Amino acid sequence: MTDDILRAPAEVKYADELDYLESIDDAPKPFSWRLSPKMVCTFILGSERSDGLDREIPQKWFGDRTFVERSIVTLASDRGLLLIGDPGTGKSWLAELLSAAISRNSTLVVQGTAGTTEDHIKYSWNVSMVIAKGQSRESMIPSPIMTAMERGVIGRFEELTRSTSDVQDALISILSEKYVSIPELDTDNTVFAQPGFSIIATANSRDRGVNDLSSALKRRFNFVRIPMVTSKKAESEIVRFRTTELLRRHRIELEVAPSLLEVLLQSFADLRAAAASARSDDEKLESALSTAEQIGVLEDAILHSQFFGERELRAETIASSLVGSLARRTPEDLAILNKFWHGVVEPRSKKEEGAWQGFLAGGREALAKLS
Amino acid sequence: MTGPATEVTPQATGLDVGAGPFGGLREQLLGAAERFGSGPLTDILGGLVEDVDRALREPLEIFPVCHHSPSSATAMARRLRDKRPKVVYLELCEDMRPLLDELHNCTLPVALQSFATDIDGFPADWAPLSVVAPITEASAEYQAISYALTTPGVELVLVDRSTDHVFQWEPRDDDTAGKAEDETAAEDEESALHGGAVGVEIGDLRPRFAELEEHLLHHGKVRHWSEWWDQYVEQPLVDADHDTYRQVLVLIGSLFRRLRPDGSARTAVDENRERYMWTRMREHLLSSGADPADCLYVCGAFHAASRVEEFGLHGTAGSFEITPRSATSWQYGLIPSSHSAIEAQFGLAPGSVSIAAATYSKALRRTGLKPFRLGGKAAAKAPAKAAKPPAPVTDRLSGFLTAAPAPDGLDDQELLGWCVDIVRLARKNGYASSTADAIAVYETSILLAGIRGRKRPTPYDFQDAAVTCIEKDAVPGRRDVARLCEILLGGDRVGEVGYDALPPLARNVLDRLAPLGLDLEKRAVQRALLDLDADPRLRPCSDLLWILRRLVPHDVVQPIMGSRRLGERSIQESWDLAIGRNMRSIVELGYEGVTIEQVLEQRLRKAVHAPRATAADALAAVEDSILYLGGRRFTDELGARAVELLAAERTVDGAPEVLRRVRRLLTHYQATQPELPEWCQAFVTAGYAHYCTLLPTAFTDDDTGVRQVAAMLGFLFGMESLALSLGCDHTQLELAVQQSHPESPAKVALLWAAQTQLGLLPLEELRRRCDELLDNPLVVPSFPLYLSGFVQALEPAPALASLVVEILSKAFARLPDTVLLPWLPKLITTLKDHAEEMVPVLIREAGRTFPATLVGLDSWTPPWSAQAAPAGPPSGSVPDGGPAAELLAAHPAACDALAGLLGLPPGWTATSAPAPMSTALLTEHPTTAHAVSGLLLN
Repeated sequence: MTDDILRAPAEVKYADELDYLESIDDAPKPFSWRLSPKMVCTFILGSERSDGLDREIPQKWFGDRTFVERSIVTLASDRGLLLIGDPGTGKSWLAELLSAAISRNSTLVVQGTAGTTEDHIKYSWNVSMVIAKGQSRESMIPSPIMTAMERGVIGRFEELTRSTSDVQDALISILSEKYVSIPELDTDNTVFAQPGFSIIATANSRDRGVNDLSSALKRRFNFVRIPMVTSKKAESEIVRFRTTELLRRHRIELEVAPSLLEVLLQSFADLRAAAASARSDDEKLESALSTAEQIGVLEDAILHSQFFGERELRAETIASSLVGSLARRTPEDLAILNKFWHGVVEPRSKKEEGAWQGFLAGGREALAKLS
Repeated sequence: MTGPATEVTPQATGLDVGAGPFGGLREQLLGAAERFGSGPLTDILGGLVEDVDRALREPLEIFPVCHHSPSSATAMARRLRDKRPKVVYLELCEDMRPLLDELHNCTLPVALQSFATDIDGFPADWAPLSVVAPITEASAEYQAISYALTTPGVELVLVDRSTDHVFQWEPRDDDTAGKAEDETAAEDEESALHGGAVGVEIGDLRPRFAELEEHLLHHGKVRHWSEWWDQYVEQPLVDADHDTYRQVLVLIGSLFRRLRPDGSARTAVDENRERYMWTRMREHLLSSGADPADCLYVCGAFHAASRVEEFGLHGTAGSFEITPRSATSWQYGLIPSSHSAIEAQFGLAPGSVSIAAATYSKALRRTGLKPFRLGGKAAAKAPAKAAKPPAPVTDRLSGFLTAAPAPDGLDDQELLGWCVDIVRLARKNGYASSTADAIAVYETSILLAGIRGRKRPTPYDFQDAAVTCIEKDAVPGRRDVARLCEILLGGDRVGEVGYDALPPLARNVLDRLAPLGLDLEKRAVQRALLDLDADPRLRPCSDLLWILRRLVPHDVVQPIMGSRRLGERSIQESWDLAIGRNMRSIVELGYEGVTIEQVLEQRLRKAVHAPRATAADALAAVEDSILYLGGRRFTDELGARAVELLAAERTVDGAPEVLRRVRRLLTHYQATQPELPEWCQAFVTAGYAHYCTLLPTAFTDDDTGVRQVAAMLGFLFGMESLALSLGCDHTQLELAVQQSHPESPAKVALLWAAQTQLGLLPLEELRRRCDELLDNPLVVPSFPLYLSGFVQALEPAPALASLVVEILSKAFARLPDTVLLPWLPKLITTLKDHAEEMVPVLIREAGRTFPATLVGLDSWTPPWSAQAAPAGPPSGSVPDGGPAAELLAAHPAACDALAGLLGLPPGWTATSAPAPMSTALLTEHPTTAHAVSGLLLN
């Protein structure tokens, strides 16, 4: 099945692993969970030899173990889980893995936008059927959240803070009373949540202040803050993991040399350091310089090499892809990148040579084109 | 317990482990190693058992400990009650021994401190050297110390290298040496309690390389080392019997010892320390004749598994020699410490020491064990019970390593209590938490413990649960939930050094501040109000506070109202005092002297004799001495040094500072003393000669700024009358000015000003030159530079103020914007920098020159434009005549004689002058003259 889908959801992609873990899991499971909390943790963070499993479970989310443990425990409790953090820190991926492991369904998602309405959270009506047959459970279109309630599984709400406050507040009753009333119907007009239902929401900490959560809603969520990955080792693991996945998806046979990965990671680390010491917004790039963005740069470079290059990833391509992805504002971002290229990359290429030289040349060329 | 001494032979090393109690375990481990493949693993696993066996067979009982380990502390208390040793050897710097007797006056945690400012034998940039050894109550060493100090007939011997050796063994080539362990930025004041000291601790037990620690944390599924230790060693060991405890600790010590990078400087230091300790213990046993069976050696588990050849009573002396201490003079004292300071210094996770303390008190409550405490006086229990006969060593390790640890998490009631308390605490700190949160924290703690494979939640689980349930997207107050949990779990305890344990200086300070009526040992900031006129008894307090302010960092005592400067006297003062929380600073002052005045005197003396001291520094010291000490003799000594320094100076960089200070001091002396002190006179004459000599060079030297030259001139002109009265020669100055040939425009302007001041250049001529400059289009661009010079000239020649105002006004009127505007900021910054000296003169003059109202401005003509109109008769052509001329003409002999004396030809004639106006006036109105003559005649 995975071959027919561009991007299979986690429960499909890791169906084998989940089946295996479910088969050996004899620990008590909360509600209707498919795996015990410990196994969910193993599924997400990978197995150790000491776990004594017959097959190795690879790590899928890279970050502090405590965050995963706290998230799982929250889902087993009465409260919803709100993953909060900078863009590109892997919040949605963690949410997807959690729902896949716990309820084998990570697709019950509501995407929060400025246009999200209460109908998207509760239910709406199939208008033609209402005209034909009148209002009934049959002509009602349940939202993903309502479906999750009915089935006793995890529902997801992406970018909670992008939707307006009144829409957000529709979640309050769902999270506390755990049912939704349908006043339009005379009978069968309450949908009760089945055991196992919970909500994983994600929120972008950069959106703070746009649509702040009400304190009533805050109280019903446990917040788990996912920090930006700063450890180079962990970051290279993430980039490698996602890139491999990407190459497989595009069926591309391409080798990503470790030295090139090193150049990419180092440049991002340098740019982050520069952004941290900047005094005003004009002095730092608009980009959040997250791990996801690094993956984006690498993906871009790989695709470019595959289809327009010599089927070999070169430092020049990475450089031009980096410039292309990060130069969003003219002239601010270009000026910063120009400064970076001359102040950091140039000395580094003289000192360390190797891939840095190609990186320097590629970046210069890309900057010249954009300027 | 050790094996019977008689059974142990010098050869009882690990080699015969197979036959000993650990044979079985060793075989088992070696078997496991073989299954993994031979090589280093076999050595390591086999070696572990050998180490344990070796340490346990040692006739002098080794008691391995780990720092901040409640189980070490409880095991120590139990063992001491059981064994009642007569001699306790402790791994602590031997020279700190006298400090331990003062511990009973303190509230723990406190730190023993060795401190040296006068260093000899170490690189000068290491100074000041400071070593701290914090002591907490939940520690094995405190148990040992308390036991030894409260039990009669027990001797406590510190055996580790002295603090001097700590630095002797530091690598010299490393710049960071001496400060290596205290780089952690201390965020709050509690964490900064130890200042920049090197920390030493008993029982430092931690993996020696990052990968091993990372591996242990990863597989232990914990976040930091303290949590790992708590979960895998502390909890299982807390109720363990003595044998198990000892064996396990030595095993861990041996593991970390064997898994460490070879050849590091730290390894060498560790081994040297072991050699040192064993050498000292053997020396002591030999000299005191104590029976090794009555002794207990308390050391870190790491050292218990030592492999140095000096190890053991029967170890060989080897080639190790204890080097003599350096000539550095060390001072010792106790300073307050805190849990967070210990955590910051030794890189422990925040809260871990507090959690250890909480676990310790819980273990005491549960087991009913009575710990040893320093209660102020020795315990009355006279003869110690005879020690139980030692039982043979049996293998407790195998059981410990294979059995699952007994759970020792939180019990339900305790957890519930915490959940309620944390919610209450969070509410106090601005969180919108409620009972629902308490329930959620409780539930989450249990769930977290479950997912982490623990039967009951530990404090760390509780902390995580509280963060999960209560922390939202922002922290409302000063503290986040994690910090609140630390506070809840015992909080940061800050120690206090009791009055009797303070050094004489600190006691003296507290005594002398007693009239303030405040409890200064309190940690809060206290406000002291001193009405000095109403209560003259407070004046000494005020003096002391000012000295403290001069000597210690500014947050210790801070004046809110009142100041102390030359010529000022406060009537009322108010101070913010934070002496209690900054006791370390005061204690460290105590290392420098017995009274605070003595310390200040020493510091001032040191400052003026420093290799790089300048005359300005010496004058500053003189000023401080007058302000704070008041003694004439010492001030004179400093002043004499200032004269020496001034005469030896080859640059004039400090001239502005010297001028400012010496002016202030002269004013002070002139106002308060009948005559200037000798040094002051010497300073003025030396300065006059000195600056005259340097003036020509300073004018031409590019490196010397205009400001410096102006200050020199200021000194020369300002002090001239005094200098001349003291025997200096005015021609020296004239010559110096004539020898000066500056090239830079600013200095040229300054020279002109000097010449005008000296009368060498008429004012008119100076004005003319300036006008020429303004008229010359080639020079106009550099005119602002001349202006800068004139502005600086305000200080040496304030009489030129009107001219400076005139030139400035002309410049503003006539200079093109392109020249004027770029220079303006410079003018403003110059005036701002020297606001005190220049601005009042300039403003006053400008006020006099310019009209005060807008109306006046319309009809205003600048005085210099008015002067351009034809002037009166030239000076010198004073109309002849008048009574004087008449008198001279009538009696020419006197004039002729004078002319002869001057070598002029005699025979002058009075010119026939027109009838002078005065004569005409008098002739016309004779009444006034008659009246005057009448008055005179009467």
